[in-house]
Amino acid sequence: MTANSELIPVEEWGRVRGFKNLFRKESRAWWRTRRWWINAIIWPIILCGLLANMLFVPTIANLATDAEIARTGNLTAHIMSMGINVFFEFGITALAIGVVILSQDVIIGEIQNGMAEWLLSKPVTCQAYLLAKLAANLIPVLILLIGLPAALAYSLLSIRSGTLFPAADFLKAVGVMTLHTLFYLFLALMLGTFFNRRAAILSISLGSVMGGPLLGGFIKPLLSITPWALPKIASLTASGLSVPVEIGITPIIATALWCSVFIVAALAKFKNAEF
Amino acid sequence: MPSMTNYVIQTRGLSKTFGEVSALKSVDLEVPKNSIFGFLGPNGAGKTTLMKILLGLTKPTNGQGSIFSHDIVKESVAIRERIGYLPQHPRFIDYMTARENLEFTTRFFFSGPDSKIRGRCEEMLELVGLHDKANRPIKNFSGGEKQRLGIALAQINYPDLLILDEPASALDPLGRQDVLDVMARLREHTTIFYSTHILDDVQRASDTVAILNQGHIVASGPIENILKGKEGTVYTISVKGSQETVEQNLSQLPWVTYTTRTQQNGSCTWQVGVSDETTAEASLLRHLLSDPDAVVTDFSRKKYELEEIFMKIVKGDEYDC
Repeated sequence: MTANSELIPVEEWGRVRGFKNLFRKESRAWWRTRRWWINAIIWPIILCGLLANMLFVPTIANLATDAEIARTGNLTAHIMSMGINVFFEFGITALAIGVVILSQDVIIGEIQNGMAEWLLSKPVTCQAYLLAKLAANLIPVLILLIGLPAALAYSLLSIRSGTLFPAADFLKAVGVMTLHTLFYLFLALMLGTFFNRRAAILSISLGSVMGGPLLGGFIKPLLSITPWALPKIASLTASGLSVPVEIGITPIIATALWCSVFIVAALAKFKNAEF
Repeated sequence: MPSMTNYVIQTRGLSKTFGEVSALKSVDLEVPKNSIFGFLGPNGAGKTTLMKILLGLTKPTNGQGSIFSHDIVKESVAIRERIGYLPQHPRFIDYMTARENLEFTTRFFFSGPDSKIRGRCEEMLELVGLHDKANRPIKNFSGGEKQRLGIALAQINYPDLLILDEPASALDPLGRQDVLDVMARLREHTTIFYSTHILDDVQRASDTVAILNQGHIVASGPIENILKGKEGTVYTISVKGSQETVEQNLSQLPWVTYTTRTQQNGSCTWQVGVSDETTAEASLLRHLLSDPDAVVTDFSRKKYELEEIFMKIVKGDEYDC
């Protein structure tokens, strides 16, 4: 019989007691199941499939009018511009929807099936539980949903232009894309601590993704304090164009602040949760 | 709250309300060290709520409690270091095998060495008889196997206190027996606090009992005290012949507190309550046998079944222990 004294007790900072083990468990749910490769296949196809179509299918290039070609300088620049728009504007929206769907069940599912109760009956703090979920879901989102498609998109753009696509602008745009995606990841996780119905999480998050830009069109100031202008900002940045003054960089700052607010609110709410 | 080292769990005036509903009403509880403490009550009595409060999963509305002299609200993580918990419906990580679930759970308590952690998991698999199924997906486990695995997970850190919520209620008689056997094996190492509504299991396995009804503790103490019933010691005596002389004889004994009789098939059955158990044990039968007009055909001390006591308490709430 192995006595407890023969084993090394876990030593972790009290506030995040249990984080390491929970993080391993959450990561394992991503990386040691089929989940990782399904996402590694789906997202490059979704985000880069349309981009490849734009860049390499001649019939699409033939649809361009002379005026459109003249506005960008030449046919290749026009095609590149269309590709960038599709990747960053459509792609960002698709990513946000994907992230909401992937993360809407992360907390609610475990609360409803009793797993959260069981895990929190171990020497684990509520903060550790939530932060482990957040960190373990953040990494695959960054790698599989953003990094992999972005690398592929950069390659496609470089192949089509015949030279390396300007990396700095592209990376800035990917940064904006990442921020937009994190906003919805953190929003869905936070809503999971406030609501016990998936419908509430989905309707609020997806309402923002799809209805937000429309609402922002009617009430312009909203675009400055929400992530709704980020797809346009990303697209303009990748194209090497400056962001209109009326939009500016406030949406970026506001979105970053919202991300922090969501994490703090989720931690505060979950600390007082009862199971 | 004063620390009493003889008690693992102590609560004072613990209450919990959910909106308008009072789930627990001023619960005072003391669970002695190294006991198997059966926590009884009908469905909805508040058993699970109390267990969740003890584990820090729910906060009490009023009152206080301690486990190992640690406050149940402020020092919950320190308490959970020394506790094992089996929920009513055990949950497992379904993409892991039984062995992987055990290893994962062990790592909440210990970081290494890996060989010792694996050794601990093997011990637990042996304890609950699942060694041959350790690498099988959990989705293929039967209810009894899941319950045994749940106990192994609860016991993985060799806790000083095991809290089991209805550990055998969903099982068939064989599965229940398995679980009771495992509990019996664990009793020398740990205190077991378990809830159930299967009274037969409690009578077989527990040494101390508390009965919760509508949020109140209505009886608690060693099981033999509970089983005595509130009437104290009662003898059941069957007598043929003259019942009048029996009645006369009994009425002369100062330690006989009450008598009742029922007639059946020419024989009469007497229930005789006594206040002095030792004297009654020594002389009641002798006294009755000395009567030439009456023939004693049966003489025994009345034994209550826990079910009888439980029903009296839960239906009448008239019990006072």
